[in-house]
Amino acid sequence: MQTRGVGRTTGSGVGHGRSGAARAARGRRSGAARAARGRRIAPFVLALALVSLLVLAACGGARGTAQGGPGFRVGLVTDVGKIDDRSFNQSVWEGVQQAQREVPGITETKYIETTDPKDYEKNIQQFTDAGYDVVVTVGFALAEATYQAAKRSPAIRFIGVEQVLAKDDQHPDWPLPNLVGITFEDDKAGFLAGALAGLVTRSGTVGAVLATDAVPPVYRFGEGFRAGVRHANPAAQLVVAYHNDVGLDRTFSDPEWGKTTAYSQIDRGADIVFGAGGKTGNGALIGAVERGKWAIGVDADQYYTVPEAQKGLLSSAMKLLTPATVHLVRAAKEGSFPPGLFTGDVALAPFHDLDGQVSADVKGRLAEIQRGLTDGAIKTGVPAVKPAS
Amino acid sequence: MPAEPSPPPPPPAAPAPVSPLLRPVFPSSERVVGALQTALAALAVPVLAVVTALLVGGAIIALAGRDPLLAYAALWEGCCASPRALSETLVWATPYIFTGLAVALAFHGGLFNIGAEGQLALGALVAAWLGYALPGLAGPLPAAVHLPLVLLGGTLAGAAWGAIPGWLKARTGAHEVINTIMLNYVALLAVSYLLNGPLRDPSPLNVIARTPEIALSARLPRLAPDLRLHAGLLLALLAAAAVWWGLYRTPLGFAIRAVGANPAAARTAGMPVGGLVVAALALSGALAGLAGAVEVAGLNYRHELGFSLGYGFDAIAIALLARVHPLGVVPAALLLGALRNGAARMQFLASVPVDLVVVLEGLILLFVAAEVLVRRLYRLPPAGAPLVFTRGWR
Repeated sequence: MQTRGVGRTTGSGVGHGRSGAARAARGRRSGAARAARGRRIAPFVLALALVSLLVLAACGGARGTAQGGPGFRVGLVTDVGKIDDRSFNQSVWEGVQQAQREVPGITETKYIETTDPKDYEKNIQQFTDAGYDVVVTVGFALAEATYQAAKRSPAIRFIGVEQVLAKDDQHPDWPLPNLVGITFEDDKAGFLAGALAGLVTRSGTVGAVLATDAVPPVYRFGEGFRAGVRHANPAAQLVVAYHNDVGLDRTFSDPEWGKTTAYSQIDRGADIVFGAGGKTGNGALIGAVERGKWAIGVDADQYYTVPEAQKGLLSSAMKLLTPATVHLVRAAKEGSFPPGLFTGDVALAPFHDLDGQVSADVKGRLAEIQRGLTDGAIKTGVPAVKPAS
Repeated sequence: MPAEPSPPPPPPAAPAPVSPLLRPVFPSSERVVGALQTALAALAVPVLAVVTALLVGGAIIALAGRDPLLAYAALWEGCCASPRALSETLVWATPYIFTGLAVALAFHGGLFNIGAEGQLALGALVAAWLGYALPGLAGPLPAAVHLPLVLLGGTLAGAAWGAIPGWLKARTGAHEVINTIMLNYVALLAVSYLLNGPLRDPSPLNVIARTPEIALSARLPRLAPDLRLHAGLLLALLAAAAVWWGLYRTPLGFAIRAVGANPAAARTAGMPVGGLVVAALALSGALAGLAGAVEVAGLNYRHELGFSLGYGFDAIAIALLARVHPLGVVPAALLLGALRNGAARMQFLASVPVDLVVVLEGLILLFVAAEVLVRRLYRLPPAGAPLVFTRGWR
């Protein structure tokens, strides 16, 4: 369908190009004496022909792709960042792809990378205009645009990753029947990481390098980690650093700061560093491992997402983004879409190369703590957002 | 070049300062043809640079295993094929026109303003603050008072921030390239602090470093229902005309250009070179600050971290593509706005990453800068006097 459209107009495009170029050439000959030599005109003819070809092909493309195709289609819009960010965008996109493999009937999946926050709305519209069945938007910053799009397109299901809204003046219709926000008990994930760090530290000092605590998931990771260390090893020293001194545009993408902050925590005696917050956290992991210390990652199993840190990566406080995405896309396809909020699972990633260094005793304690967190016997005591100071 | 007004003393706001005897009321046909030839010759290199960049970009798309025709078709569709697409292109182009003018104006004074980014951020922040806080401090204001105050505040903030490197250069000779870059960091970090701290939107669900929304009386009107196109575009076009008029038709503009062309000669002619350097950079900063204020008053209705990142830097590409002519800035900004806006559609339809737009921008810049290359490629006659954008330490 598409190729036919382009092919058809390509023919007419060349024709138009020739006549346009010929007109231009005549004009130049009579007007400007400088251009009299044909040798100079030839490239102009070529360029004009190519330009008009492109322009006309463009109209053809527009026609060829306007109508929606059959089947079940899933689109994803990233937060400002790349699809292969080894973090949120990537984990969710892997979930979308896995859903396409596992759920029969999903015919097409596609993503759009956002480069500027003012494009959120437009990027979501690419999918809603094309009549996609499910639109997944990744990250806190897209919550508003996703809510508005869900209101405009009630027939399309929206999955907002890490987007928590509530019924208020600006969102009077929340929860919408076609919008679900995936949230995670980050404090529990951080708590597990903190317990692990507290149990295996030899120096008795552990560090945490985090993006800004103004973003609730980061705050809950950091404070959960703090609580986990206290719970498992009350005597341990804690060094926690949030990257609050820069804006949202930078706090997640400052690996240099992450690395140097990890160094300074190691200089203060830390032998395990917890890194959380996009590339900033990844920088901390790499910094810790470079110094021969251990690191604990976040969000995904960072053994695979940060290969530079593999030999020292003890574990990761995983938000199981990929299975949550698969679950919700499947639910949308099978007609059991759950509006409102969906709480995804958290877990510690495998110890991989360091498995032999973690004693059976520690593993037993961790399993015990995980059970306690699940059945409510252990509370992290971390509020959902940083209390206003 | 059109007839010049005589240097410093002539009466201001006189459209034809040269004796009427020397200046025919109706331009002769030779003059019209001559002007057209000059315009065509000036357009040739930028246009061919864009064409060449698109061709090379197409080759890159093909090398990456995608369909270049489909990609450009989608780009076209995304930027220009519907009223909404056109509106979004103009929305993108509006701040580009202002910042492009800012950089171009400084170039005319022989100054390279890389600080438009910071000047814009400060302008946006001050405008946003005036937009939401002023009614609380001074009571409700009519839009006819509030909106101009918001725009003026942003403009003055940008001007002040631009004047600092100007003053440093005039006073100490410190190069504006370094100082404008450094002041970007100061401005952006200060804005970041304020957005995270004192000026942060206090509503309970807000987790983003942003100001509250500005009052209705501080907003520029939208130009069409259901479209984001706003009156800021008209202000931008007005600014382009004003910068052109100011540079080529006023004594101050002449003096700035004289300093840009040859500061030693300007000094010998008795011009206050230091003051003119400060003035050029302050005016440049004012335009960048106004860009930020218009983004706040016309589009976002608040200032938020991460908005408008890169406008000040793209502005350099725009000014160069326009060959620093104030009126050339408008089409150059439209082109870049179209590329930026169409990129989403290109990603969606052709699976070509948005980064291609950055590649295209780089290629355009490369071919505009490497004018000789383009001229040889298309066998154009060699250029006359080269454009001098900035100069080294004095």
